[in-house]
Amino acid sequence: MRFIKVVAVLFLKDFREELRRKEDVAASFLFALLSLVLFAFALDPTRVDLNETGSGLLWLVVLFAGSLFMSGSFRKETENGTLYALLLSPCDRGALYVGKFLLNFLFLLALEALLLLFAYLLLDFRVSDGLPALGAVWALVTFGYAAVGTLFSALLAQVRGGHVIFPILLFPILVPLVIAAATLTEQALSPGFSWGNQWLRLVGLFDILFFTASVFLFEFAVEE
Amino acid sequence: MPHRRWSILLWSLALAANSAALYMVFLYAPVEVQMGAVQKIFYYHVPSAIACYVLLFLAFLFSALYLWREEPLYDHLAHSAAEVGWVFITLVLVTGPIWGHSAWGKWWVWEPRLTSFLILWLTYSAYFLLRLFSRGDARAAKIAAVVAIVAFFDVPIVHKAISWWGSIVHPRKVVLEPAMRWTFFAGLASVFLLAAALFLTRFDIQRAEALRAEKEEWA
Repeated sequence: MRFIKVVAVLFLKDFREELRRKEDVAASFLFALLSLVLFAFALDPTRVDLNETGSGLLWLVVLFAGSLFMSGSFRKETENGTLYALLLSPCDRGALYVGKFLLNFLFLLALEALLLLFAYLLLDFRVSDGLPALGAVWALVTFGYAAVGTLFSALLAQVRGGHVIFPILLFPILVPLVIAAATLTEQALSPGFSWGNQWLRLVGLFDILFFTASVFLFEFAVEE
Repeated sequence: MPHRRWSILLWSLALAANSAALYMVFLYAPVEVQMGAVQKIFYYHVPSAIACYVLLFLAFLFSALYLWREEPLYDHLAHSAAEVGWVFITLVLVTGPIWGHSAWGKWWVWEPRLTSFLILWLTYSAYFLLRLFSRGDARAAKIAAVVAIVAFFDVPIVHKAISWWGSIVHPRKVVLEPAMRWTFFAGLASVFLLAAALFLTRFDIQRAEALRAEKEEWA
């Protein structure tokens, strides 16, 4: 019970902070939108149909814009020296991770919702009936992404040039998720989508494995 | 220095085994009917792949031990194993396309196993980038250990995902005639001896560097 309470307190603290600071949220959203516009120039939307080919491209935008946001999630604490205060407080270290993870997860979901909206408006990306399936699939993939991303953000918070290494270190690890996201996005939008899918099982395995490992490894990562 | 004697012994063994293996590859093993001489790459390509898996497993094991016991020795072992492992991933990535060029007519085909080695190469390259950036940082060893553990767990998942995604496959079962089989075992032994020698030497350098850093701190 206490664990959940600590997680909630930490999450609300970060949530409020992000809303007040706005800078990281705004930068990430704008970057996502900008990438989408650049894709339009690179692909020529009059000839390339996003619905048929390359719906996985949307996931690349999530990956890049998301990493922009996530890489800073622990750096903020080290810059102000508040990480030590958090580590000194008598709470479970795992709760610290889960609080940050929740914020990153929810932020990524918001980013994806916005992205889908703009993909519809600008590139005529139609989701229509597939929306529930697509939402569920993306949420599952995002869970794994946020789990590893939050851990790596904690690892690199105090490393010189950590924000440079963050995506280079993170993306190769995420390759299974990227492939799954691209395939599942296409499948979710086509009529015969089944939930017993092998890709969903793989993503599920990835989520469970890396979330558990991260909660466990986090303690080693943030020791002062 | 008993360590040094080990090192000399291992290097001599590796040299002898590699000479013998190369002799067998080029003069003893018959030329494969369909693929021709280029098939001979296989005697070093496959053992390199096996050696790199073993070394990456060692890197994972020593990283976990380091997090548990916090002895610098384990960090040096993990670092050396990962580095030598990376060399063998590179070897696989270089020999694979040479064979592929004559088999498929292209230098690179997005073939599952080759692709997952490319991802592996990128993952561990990032690991060394991290080591480079965090040089001199007291926490560097711990951070690297966590990354090595996460990367190791990722290997089978990456492999699975890429094999579902790709379509062309490696031959699953290779039946070798006796002369070829013996040559393959010779290649395997020589690659493993070479890997062990490299690993030990790298570890020695690692320890010497740590010792020097310690002395400089004292001075």
